[in-house]
Amino acid sequence: MIKNYLFHNRYKKIGLIILIPFTIIGLISMFTGFEPSFLSIKVPASFASQLFGEDQLFGMIENNVWNEILGMIIIISSLMVAFSREKNEDEYILKIRLNSLVWAVYLNYDILLIAILFVYNLSFLNVMTLNIFTVLFFFIIRFNWQLNRLNKSLENEK
Amino acid sequence: MKNNIKVERAKNGITQAELARKIQVSRQTINAMELSKYIPSTLLALRLAQIFNTSVGDLFILEESDWD
Repeated sequence: MIKNYLFHNRYKKIGLIILIPFTIIGLISMFTGFEPSFLSIKVPASFASQLFGEDQLFGMIENNVWNEILGMIIIISSLMVAFSREKNEDEYILKIRLNSLVWAVYLNYDILLIAILFVYNLSFLNVMTLNIFTVLFFFIIRFNWQLNRLNKSLENEK
Repeated sequence: MKNNIKVERAKNGITQAELARKIQVSRQTINAMELSKYIPSTLLALRLAQIFNTSVGDLFILEESDWD
């Protein structure tokens, strides 16, 4: 009953297989500005604020959808890794999961607060872009590190 | 909060893994409870008491610090 909001355990491995390469591709694309030209298509948009030109409330705009595809893949695979049930998921693991989530949210917003104070202009846009994913990344790292520690600390039975 | 899980387990001659299977949790959870690192839910406490044929009050003992 308490496990209802979690995916089946097998999605963790599938998510990880997708997440790792696409995160690398995403970071490379972000810092090199790489976008395959064949993905520049007209897309339906709402609230499209153009850098040069008029703002549009609704309508079709020309856009390269590479970033959107990468973003969706990374978010969905991160969710799969973060919220797939552990093989031995129980109330203690659930407690570790909750603690890790709180920790990740605090860390994420601490970093964002520092970025608000010290990062400006286009660099801040990069911070915000990364910030879309970091809360899940921090959670995944913290939760799995805690699980690993728990398994290691399992003292031998006498 | 102290508990007598390890003592009861020894009395009944069951391993952490066996107890974990009986009350449907991981072995890590049993270990964490025995080391007083984790206080179980009422449901789990009742399951433990039933397995050991004792009461929750005998299995878990409040300490002074639990009132702070």
